[in-house]
Amino acid sequence: MSEDIATTVLQSAGGGRDVPASPSPWRRWLGENGLQKWAFYVPVIFLVLFFVLPMATTVVWSVFERTQFWMEPGFTFFAYENFFTSARAENYVYSMIHSAWAVVISFALGFPIAVFVRRRVPRAAQHRVILLFILPFMISELVRVFAMRPILGRYGVLNSLFMDIGLIDEPITAILFSPLGVVIGDVVSFLPFMVFAGFLAMEAVQPYVFEVCDDLGARTLRTFRDIIVPLAAPGIFAGGIFIFVNGLGVALVPIILGGPGAVNAGLIVNQAIVALDFPLAMAISTIMIATLVALLYIGHRLFDLTKILEPIN
Amino acid sequence: MKQWEFNRRYVLQGVAAIAAAAAAGGIPGLSRAAGDLKLWAAGIHKVGAKDWSAMSSQAGIGIAYTTKSARADEAIQKMVVGDGNKLFDAMTDNGGGMENALGSQKAIVPLDTTKIPNWKNILPSYNDGGLAAHSIRYDGKVYATPMISNADSMAYDYKKLGFHPTSWEVLFDSQFKGRAALQNDFGPTLTNMAIYLKESGKIEIGNPSDMTPNEVKAVCQYLIDYKKKGQFRTFWDGFQNGVGILTSGEVLVSSCWEPIQIVANRKTGDKADIRYGSMKEGHQAWNNIVMLTKGGHERGMDAAYYALANVYLSPWFGARTLAGLGFGAQMVGVDDYIKSHPKDFPAAKQAEVLDILTRKNERLANKGNAWQNVFPKHLRAYQDWWARLQAA
Repeated sequence: MSEDIATTVLQSAGGGRDVPASPSPWRRWLGENGLQKWAFYVPVIFLVLFFVLPMATTVVWSVFERTQFWMEPGFTFFAYENFFTSARAENYVYSMIHSAWAVVISFALGFPIAVFVRRRVPRAAQHRVILLFILPFMISELVRVFAMRPILGRYGVLNSLFMDIGLIDEPITAILFSPLGVVIGDVVSFLPFMVFAGFLAMEAVQPYVFEVCDDLGARTLRTFRDIIVPLAAPGIFAGGIFIFVNGLGVALVPIILGGPGAVNAGLIVNQAIVALDFPLAMAISTIMIATLVALLYIGHRLFDLTKILEPIN
Repeated sequence: MKQWEFNRRYVLQGVAAIAAAAAAGGIPGLSRAAGDLKLWAAGIHKVGAKDWSAMSSQAGIGIAYTTKSARADEAIQKMVVGDGNKLFDAMTDNGGGMENALGSQKAIVPLDTTKIPNWKNILPSYNDGGLAAHSIRYDGKVYATPMISNADSMAYDYKKLGFHPTSWEVLFDSQFKGRAALQNDFGPTLTNMAIYLKESGKIEIGNPSDMTPNEVKAVCQYLIDYKKKGQFRTFWDGFQNGVGILTSGEVLVSSCWEPIQIVANRKTGDKADIRYGSMKEGHQAWNNIVMLTKGGHERGMDAAYYALANVYLSPWFGARTLAGLGFGAQMVGVDDYIKSHPKDFPAAKQAEVLDILTRKNERLANKGNAWQNVFPKHLRAYQDWWARLQAA
């Protein structure tokens, strides 16, 4: 029936010219029942190949037996037991706490920037302003993190400045080679994630919302806390997840800015691999995946993460 | 002729012409590639030029070089479970573990040392029964040629300290609280600390290179205690990091590799005087070795390997690795070579290099030294206690 309608429409559009009643084999092959139908499966195949399979392999290998140089098939929870009974679990928790702080600080610094750009910058220029935040990503992360050392160091820019203006007598050593140093490094490295996600999330807040708030006499802080943040929550959460996961996994920051033996989850995995303890590395990776999935589940239950795409729709 | 046909035809013709010229020997880089020794090595294993040209011309062979890190896991994965034997004819790594690991997995082959003329000059410690003999042997056979060695110690800023430390004790001195650093690697750090604690009589330890779980625990608990007191500023990881903490003045004493001290001292100029000490308790000694892979042997690359090994045991290489990065030469007579080549080593450089050599020999002769062990028997205990130290 639908084909008849299509034919009629095409015939009338063709101004009476002859239109083939049925499409050519080539068209049929490309058509809705041909390649187009299978095109929908491409993302699924991609997901299976590059997401499900590697994840499944990671989980399976985590219960394998460790050999001297590799591992062999088996079923043991030794790697998990080792993770939870050694100090690695403690290191992992510290790493989560530091990453959580990085998320909180990035939100406090980055989200107001996103709100400001949405509210105050002319619409035509908004994307250009936001693109400015991509600039730091053009520099290698290693360089960016390493560049923090001359700023935060004992004789660094900050300490010199504070001492010159008489704010302190002795250099502050807690801002480098310390947990605080790691948090600062994470914020500097990953802040743009919050700005981007916040900017997208602000699409959900229509301009009239600000006007209504102004008309009702709501103060800036209350508007921000009670209106903007709840409306933009899914986007804020997404930005937070990006920062949290990077804080947990990017080993550079604790290596360069952390204190004696500072680690994050990524570094713990790396150290297990260096020691040829592959099942342990896989077990920690599995725990990282589980952590991420749990966070996404909680986030979805709380904020309905599908709303992130609503402004695009 | 259609445009796309024209393009395709001419590209194919061009490629065929290049291939023919290469086969005929008309293009040196390409034609030589087939016979080149495919070497998987770290950048520190060459001297004389920024690339491998000087090494290549000394050995009289072509070298196709691939960069390698010092990570044991990478080498094991590539050579034991990966395609390393297809890719490389020769490879470098740490002695005192890797030759055993790769030899036991048949990834490398035993050597015929009679094909290396300079083998007669090798340091006596590599001869049967010598302190370093095990580091090039597996199952009683020689599987590797040593290239560089050292006894790791501690760098310090003499300008700030005002004295030359002769004991690891200074790392735990309260006057350097928050200004001391250790290497973020349980292998060298725990071995050096075990040597200190054993030789100073603080902890009873059998073999600092291969500690029992209880010994590992005792050493780590000692470090945890000082870490909690805030003694250490950081544990450095990577060459630039090691240099950075010394040049910035963040730390005044740091256990580290000698090249770190050399580079840090060059960078700081007159601002600091960063030196490398000799610790009375002893040091972790180590070497790097070059091995012939099974694949290389099967492809008939033995002669090229032996030519390169001969260069590594020549005073030409020994003098330059010593002068450049301060690594120990693996042959006797390197001091005579330096003295007899004033063009390459002018008087001031000679004095500096010979001083490094004297101090290095002094360190290497220390009876408290323990050899690097890439795979200690109780590796799990090392890993687990290191994690505890990190968490403390």
